[in-house]
Amino acid sequence: MENTSNQTPLLSVSDFLAIVNQTLEYAYPSIEIEGEVASFKINQGKYVFFDLKDAGGSVGCFMTVWQLRVPIEDGMKVIVRANPKITQWGKFSLTVQSIRPSGEGSLKKSYELLKTKLEGEGLFNEERKRPLPAMPTHIGVISSTQAAGYADFIKIIGDRWGGMKIEVAHTQVQGEAAPDQMIRAIRHFNEQPELPQILVIIRGGGSADDLSSFNDELLVREIAASRIPTVVGVGHEIDETLADFAADVRAATPSNAAQLIVPDKREIVAETRHAMKRILSRVAYAIDELRASARESISTMYQAIETGISSAEQALQDKRSLLSAYSPMAVLERGYAIVRGKQTVGEKLHISTNVNEITAEVTDVKKR
Amino acid sequence: MSKSDKTTSPISDKLAKLQEYVEWFEGDGFSIEQSLEKFSEAEKLAAEVEHDLQELKNEVVVLNAKFE
Repeated sequence: MENTSNQTPLLSVSDFLAIVNQTLEYAYPSIEIEGEVASFKINQGKYVFFDLKDAGGSVGCFMTVWQLRVPIEDGMKVIVRANPKITQWGKFSLTVQSIRPSGEGSLKKSYELLKTKLEGEGLFNEERKRPLPAMPTHIGVISSTQAAGYADFIKIIGDRWGGMKIEVAHTQVQGEAAPDQMIRAIRHFNEQPELPQILVIIRGGGSADDLSSFNDELLVREIAASRIPTVVGVGHEIDETLADFAADVRAATPSNAAQLIVPDKREIVAETRHAMKRILSRVAYAIDELRASARESISTMYQAIETGISSAEQALQDKRSLLSAYSPMAVLERGYAIVRGKQTVGEKLHISTNVNEITAEVTDVKKR
Repeated sequence: MSKSDKTTSPISDKLAKLQEYVEWFEGDGFSIEQSLEKFSEAEKLAAEVEHDLQELKNEVVVLNAKFE
């Protein structure tokens, strides 16, 4: 529509609002604004309204609850990514695409709020934790392949163990896009016909803001819901993220994740050698036992033979004694004599005593 | 020995078998007559485990899929 009198365009209200919005979209396709949250409220469980303010001004903001990835409350300092818009009622506001806490205090506050919420749902309960296979053959890794933590992980896992298929999903591990990329990677692995036995999510150290992706509510929920047992190794030992708590196994660092996933082959070799030594000593012991037993048997047999010989010797001695007692010489020694020859007068008799052999003549024979 | 499936490490199968040998040697079923044969089998297995551990490398595959 056009006002022909002064060449000034005549617009309907709707057209005017559309043009202003077009102009704003052209001028600010996407901007990030930092400020403090005030009057935060959620309507009908779907729509989020709040004001973003600083010492010099305030602007209304709108977003849906599904875009709200971290808990927000009044007084928190945040950074919003948004498009400026004028509503059909002429109210200027920011349509927020994403919001994240800014500054240590807000990050900590948001972290605590979400931790309390998810803890209340039982997402971090110990009974949910699944054990990892002792010697996996197939693992999935979610990390940035350019990260130092990833290089450490691959090196240490290679030093410790071999023969595994390691599939790596390269994703961002910090920044606004990181949580969604990691969520897609978790889903990708969970949808494979051949599931990895372990899913490892790793990232090296960084500032609280760098690691804040691992406190994203949807990412934490995705980790907890994974069909594949998960290991999360993010940051340094002192760092703590909600993804750590949701994982089946929490590793202090990416290097520690590698240590928890696979045994050390050097230890296995040492154990194998030790097992062989145990076997060998068992055989040696058995041989010693046999030797001792054989020695004992021989000794028993020897003793039995000795006893037999002694008995035989004794028996022989007894027989000798008996025979000696029956010997005619023993009778002669007692003073008797043996007389041989015909007991007829004039005949010669042969008489044996213990000391003499005598020849005598019979001079008389009388009957008793 | 049973053929390992894809989720069981061949090394883990061999270690389990080696453990069976150890248990046989330390158990009531031990006999000196069979021990020589069993010891020689266990020794061969232990050598295989050591060899596998030294030789086997991991296969690292970076997926082509984009997650952006």
